[in-house]
Amino acid sequence: MGVVTSTFGGAIARRPWRTFDVQLFVYLALLIAFGIVMGYSASYNDPAPAGALSQPVKTVIWAAIGLTIFFVAASLDYHWLQPFSGPIYLAVLVLLTLTLVLGTNLFGAQMSITVAGLDFQFSEVSKVLMIVVLASFLASRRERIGRLSTIVGAGALMAMPTFLVFRQPDLGTAMVFVAILAAMLFMSGASIGWMAIFTGLVVGAAPLAVGALQDYQRQRLFCFLDPYADAQDACYQLVQSLNAVGSGGIFGQGLTAGRQNQAGLLPVQSTDFIFTVVAEELGLVGSLLLLGLFALLIWRIVFIAWTARDALGSMVAVGLAGMILFQVLVNVGMVVGIMPVTGIPLPFVTYGGSSLISLLFGMGILESVRIHGEKPTF
Amino acid sequence: MADLNEGRGRDLPRSRARFIAFGVAAALVFTALAGRLVQLQVVDGAAYARRAATIGTVELPIPAARGLVFDRDGRPLAVNVPSWTVKARRADLPGPRTRIVLGEVARITGVDARSLRTRLDAYTGSPYDLIPLARGIDRQAALVLGERAGQLPGIVVEAEPVRRYLDETGKVDGTLLSHIVGYTGPVDSTELPELAAAGYLHDDAIGRAGVEASYEEELRGSYGSRLVERDADGRTGDVLETVREPVAGANLQLTIDAEMQRTATNALRWGMDAVGVEQGVTIVMNPQTGEILAMVSLPAYDNNKFATGISGSDYQAYLTADGQPLRNHAIADIYPPGSTFKLVTSVAALEEGVTTAGQRWPTYGCYQIPGAPAGQCLFDWNRQGFGPLDMTDAFAVSSDTFYYQMAIKLGVDRLGAWAERMGFGNRSGIRLPGEAEGIVASTAWAQAQGRQGVFTGELAQAGIGQNVIAVTPLQLLNAYCALANGGTLMRPSIVRGTADAGGQLLEPAAPEVIGPIGASDSTLRTMRIGAREVITTGHAYNIRDLRLPGALSGKTGTAEFGAETPEGTLPFHSWFVAYLPSAPGATDADLAVVTFAYSAVVPGNVSLEVVKYFLQEHYDLDQDLRLDPRDFSLVAAN
Repeated sequence: MGVVTSTFGGAIARRPWRTFDVQLFVYLALLIAFGIVMGYSASYNDPAPAGALSQPVKTVIWAAIGLTIFFVAASLDYHWLQPFSGPIYLAVLVLLTLTLVLGTNLFGAQMSITVAGLDFQFSEVSKVLMIVVLASFLASRRERIGRLSTIVGAGALMAMPTFLVFRQPDLGTAMVFVAILAAMLFMSGASIGWMAIFTGLVVGAAPLAVGALQDYQRQRLFCFLDPYADAQDACYQLVQSLNAVGSGGIFGQGLTAGRQNQAGLLPVQSTDFIFTVVAEELGLVGSLLLLGLFALLIWRIVFIAWTARDALGSMVAVGLAGMILFQVLVNVGMVVGIMPVTGIPLPFVTYGGSSLISLLFGMGILESVRIHGEKPTF
Repeated sequence: MADLNEGRGRDLPRSRARFIAFGVAAALVFTALAGRLVQLQVVDGAAYARRAATIGTVELPIPAARGLVFDRDGRPLAVNVPSWTVKARRADLPGPRTRIVLGEVARITGVDARSLRTRLDAYTGSPYDLIPLARGIDRQAALVLGERAGQLPGIVVEAEPVRRYLDETGKVDGTLLSHIVGYTGPVDSTELPELAAAGYLHDDAIGRAGVEASYEEELRGSYGSRLVERDADGRTGDVLETVREPVAGANLQLTIDAEMQRTATNALRWGMDAVGVEQGVTIVMNPQTGEILAMVSLPAYDNNKFATGISGSDYQAYLTADGQPLRNHAIADIYPPGSTFKLVTSVAALEEGVTTAGQRWPTYGCYQIPGAPAGQCLFDWNRQGFGPLDMTDAFAVSSDTFYYQMAIKLGVDRLGAWAERMGFGNRSGIRLPGEAEGIVASTAWAQAQGRQGVFTGELAQAGIGQNVIAVTPLQLLNAYCALANGGTLMRPSIVRGTADAGGQLLEPAAPEVIGPIGASDSTLRTMRIGAREVITTGHAYNIRDLRLPGALSGKTGTAEFGAETPEGTLPFHSWFVAYLPSAPGATDADLAVVTFAYSAVVPGNVSLEVVKYFLQEHYDLDQDLRLDPRDFSLVAAN
């Protein structure tokens, strides 16, 4: 790794990166590589227009930007996050509000702002930033952690961003916010009793949220219960996905050789349904390999949470683990028809710069937790 | 260094139990996903693979060519021509910049941008459906739109067949036959749910009026379907196979003779122009078969305007125009028949034994209604009276006071029953939309209005086709056709049968009989002689001098209606109905004609002059005996 020179108080120069978490880095690098390969296959028959970069090349560029941010975040002592959590929270609210007001229409949802030609989805970034904000809040609660005010305070912090993304409407990200909140509260040691009560309230309010959805969202949401009932319209995507996954078999049809994928029969195959391409082209073997990588990654992040020196680092790790686990569950679950169809990306693998860069920023903080959270060795 | 480690003292305790719980939850998630993958890919893999091979397809309809419409000589009257339609696929429109795209389309096509927007917004189906925004745009605009397709995302120009309505010469002119042929129009979104069940598409056309509407099922044919590749976004691609070939709609040959229709139209228009009448009807029919040979209702409209979707202003203009051009007055409106109705009173009186053919009855200048106060009498049109008359003479001179007596002796219900046997008060059943029933007075009819019965004065007037009797011109002609053919009420027909693509008859439809009117041959023969005498000795004036190939027989009529004018008279309609047997009293007539002129308040009978003109032209006579109906000295009234 070598020594990263920094102007940050000279502290880093005195800390060799021997505690850099290689396992974490290997797992995420493999996941990114997986994503690039699958993105190549998904866009195989869909060449970029002349003069534009192809999808895998763009992913490589984004990965390079993301890895730069990763190393910068790793090199900085993550404690800088604590005093900045207020401004970060404000920035999240401003960016999400801007997205809601200015966002362009993509498949019926206002989800991105175009900056210098690059579509940027602030909702992706805001997920990682909200983990930081919540981690700061929970770390500051100390012995008061078991009180009701912890849950109310954390819920209040999360409420506004959740509402803003729900209004976009980006149901998926709103659900991820709620999942992050639940995971972090649970792992922080918040009162189980109060959490159970609030969980009951949220479940009770779910029909209201479903009622507030657009028709098309509602239809898609409930497709997984009986996809073939409406195979030609609302559940068309899901039916296509199930057929592709099923026809992948044990060993798959081969990279760039998936019939459904290459015939353009899969819905938004580079993004939400990228796992379908994995399952169709690489079969059960490839699917389990990818799930295994996620399992290892999450295991490693939980390990970091357990061993972190302080609550801030531990909470950031817990939030990221919860977020990734939830996204894998919902995204892969959707593809295989055991979860409702919502637009949640598969971390690292789904094509999209904002998701990748945000995740790498989060992973960089985890490395910083490992590097800067260790006891001094001198 | 101390500052870096500052936070560690404030550490939160970490719960081992909760970390284990998280680990278990994660393990469960991965196990569930892996298990489901095994189920999908290994256990049920083969079944999904089979589905995958077929699911990327969608069955799309193949429209059938709409049947053509010909006249009885095979002249095309309704044909399909290619036309250009601008359509939009909402999924491809550029979001907020749609307004700009629509503005550009409006500029190129000359169609109002707001109406494009309205059509786009009105459609609630799939965003991948093509929504028709403007039909019948001109070729030049279609070419420009085609060239600029790249700059107009979501806009497509498609060639679609639309209806063209032709006249007897093949010229594009719908006004000659619009009331018969009708028109098709786009299906609208409110009726689509119901029609979709019958296989109609959101951008389909459906018959809206005339034969286009009443023979919709035959003309439409049956749509086929084909299997088309469909991608994940719902866009369609290559055709894989044709599941069902479309069956083109049946071509129809009308009973109409388009040339005769033109002759009748010209004659009627001449008569209406001569006296300034706003509404008129001429119908020509074959009494032996019930076939309508010509049916003119003026003013007419141009059905070609409807074929591509009529503009709001054009439609408003038709709705508010004098004479109600959109209504087929021949079947949809009812008028008092006046003296032409004396046929019914005569047949009823003879059949019910009120009088015999030879029995003579006194006539009066003014007939005192029995039971009414003295001096309350009903005038004859001839205020001197005619002296004693038998049935034939009374019919020939059209004595009102003779028929007042007949009607009062019959009573309203016996008169009404005969009227119904002769086709009045019921729809004839001609297969055209919008036919009216008419009014035939009866005790029940009066009671339905909250009265005990019909007043004697009304009954007397019913006997001369006034006041409580109202008929469609077609009903009247059909009743005279029954007289002319020996007593059979035929169902008027408008379609002769199916035709081949050249308009030649394939399967003729059999003439339909409503039923015998139930009058004896002698009664009918007496009336045929009477109808002949109307022409020869009555006051149908010089029409007797036409050198026609037969013994023209008929009846004039003048029917007062509405409110008195300041001069103390009532406005009146004029009627003339006639048929042409080979000899007086014969039942072999194959041509009958009626003309009706609405509010033709002139001294002469304009309808008689119209029929005269029509017969001159139709039989190509080198005579022109037309008189100016405005000339009082030529009165041929009643």
